[in-house]
Amino acid sequence: MVSNVTYLANVVHPVQLGILISIYFFYTGLSAGSFVLSSLGTVFGIQKYKPIAKAGVIMAVALLAIAPLHLIGDLEQPQRFYTLFFRLNPRSAISYGTFLLTLYPLNSLIYGWFLFRRDFATGAQELTGLRRRLYKFLSFGKTDLSAAALAKDAKIAKFLGTLGVPLALLVHGYTGFILADIQARALWHTGLMPLIFLMSAMVSGTGLLILVLMFSQRFLSPERAITPERKSLLLDIAQLMLWFIVVDATLMIIDFIMLYFANTAGHAAAQLFLYGSHRTMFLGVEAGLGLLLPFIITLLPKTKKSLGWIGFASVLTLIGVIAMRINFVIGGQQLPLSGDTLNPYTADPKHLMMIGIFALLEISILYLTFRFLPVYGLPQEKVQTKLQHPAVFRQ
Amino acid sequence: MTEKKRRWAMVIDLRKCVGCNACTVSCKIENNVPEGVYRTWVKEIEKGDYPQVTRFRLPRLCNHCDNAPCLAACPVQATYRTEDGAILIDYDHCIGCKYCMAACPYDARFINPVRKTAEKCTFCYHRVEEGLLPACVTTCVGGARVFGNINDPESLVAKLVANNPVQVLKPEMNTQPYVFYIGADQNIMGARYDNLEKGE
Ligand code: SF4
Ligand code: SF4
Repeated sequence: MVSNVTYLANVVHPVQLGILISIYFFYTGLSAGSFVLSSLGTVFGIQKYKPIAKAGVIMAVALLAIAPLHLIGDLEQPQRFYTLFFRLNPRSAISYGTFLLTLYPLNSLIYGWFLFRRDFATGAQELTGLRRRLYKFLSFGKTDLSAAALAKDAKIAKFLGTLGVPLALLVHGYTGFILADIQARALWHTGLMPLIFLMSAMVSGTGLLILVLMFSQRFLSPERAITPERKSLLLDIAQLMLWFIVVDATLMIIDFIMLYFANTAGHAAAQLFLYGSHRTMFLGVEAGLGLLLPFIITLLPKTKKSLGWIGFASVLTLIGVIAMRINFVIGGQQLPLSGDTLNPYTADPKHLMMIGIFALLEISILYLTFRFLPVYGLPQEKVQTKLQHPAVFRQ
Repeated sequence: MTEKKRRWAMVIDLRKCVGCNACTVSCKIENNVPEGVYRTWVKEIEKGDYPQVTRFRLPRLCNHCDNAPCLAACPVQATYRTEDGAILIDYDHCIGCKYCMAACPYDARFINPVRKTAEKCTFCYHRVEEGLLPACVTTCVGGARVFGNINDPESLVAKLVANNPVQVLKPEMNTQPYVFYIGADQNIMGARYDNLEKGE
């Protein structure tokens, strides 16, 4: 290659898909991750994960309710977003995404209702006050508590959950596919992209689940405590996270080896992340803080038994995955297509404000649902007897 | 033999381009393009060391690709192809998702900051429909830009493409561009990464 070439004139092409899109990817990832974890008990029948099924599905729905707002907020013509539903292009990944993003939360919502129905029905009969009215309403009149009815609930929940797992994988696989589909961008255009997005979804989904479980069990559950069984389950989930981290990191390493030995653009992308200006964000934050440190924490015998350390590791995975989304979405577009310098990106303050508002909204929804829905069963003093056999989904 | 369908194309003969940017300006005026964004522009590089040094230019615009990634990407079919091969955008239906801009390998698209939709070169379709040439072609002082129906063997574009070694940008992308260059230097046709690798 001739090296003494100087660019005298060219037009600047700023990065177009920015921070809102990166954070959107973060939310869908969290949602898909929590759904899969919720399904471990109900669909895959692993008994020990049954207690987190409800928490997982609440998170899956609550996160996916907010996620698309980021997409709409990023549109230049947000008021036209509904045309996505009928002006379809069978060749565009986004057209498929529109329906996945609609079907998946709906399916999760119905699945969740079947998980909760027994508690709603019991609560409507045995509780008093606000909760009684709320649960009565939410049970939609289906108050049959016979063994047959409960078994039917479990069966339907299993069916919807079984449907939900591929939907969750598709929803997040497709977000990776949106990038992988773009041949023009060297960093994105690899078959590994959907898998990498899926795995980092599992990592961050587990991370957030651990944090939400810790907080809600301690402050919002009827027992107001992280009981020994709960602690051992949390530590168990952290070990799942360890393996998700291992797979995620492996995929990432394969991806970068391939990029490094790819064509000029791919090589430049690898250079940029391994040696260039994106090194700190990639190697430092995404890989170091987000994968390596949590890996060590969940591996060492001393730290892996401590809730404090596990909580810390979970926070780190969230930071790491946010960094990953930003690195890939924005970094992928910074690599020039026609120029000789990185395409600039400046975050629009309006977009940052939206992200803040959406995050507050998300936290409020999560708080209210965990506070008022019987995620951990009904308040004890009222339904002592019912809590003795929380085994309805144990068919 | 049945007559082949009309297919608009442009040939840019770089031996005749002086880098005056008259095309850039005329396009801005003709199409009312706002400040800071361009439907067509002229890249310029300097190659070599004094005294062995030359400047090269490359007028850029949308390639109206035959296999256009932007067309495939648009989720609401706001990007469409006309009968004669031009790729256009329906501004009343573009939702501004910018996916096309990520998909175009040529940086041809931008968001019009006033209209808030995607935008790019249209081959001056409104003029061409009236039998006129694109504004940049009429204004090109060196006569470097030639426009016409490449499927008509008598047209100048068809003759130039037949009788000269021509290049298109990034043929490896399989986009099948319909803007052809004569005498383009490889160093100006795509991106250059050596600055990045120096750690900038
Ligand atoms: S140059 Fe870009 S915008 Fe123009 S048709 Fe090709 S892909 Fe589409
Ligand atoms: S920005 Fe407009 S033209 Fe481009 S893909 Fe989105 S809707 Fe289509």
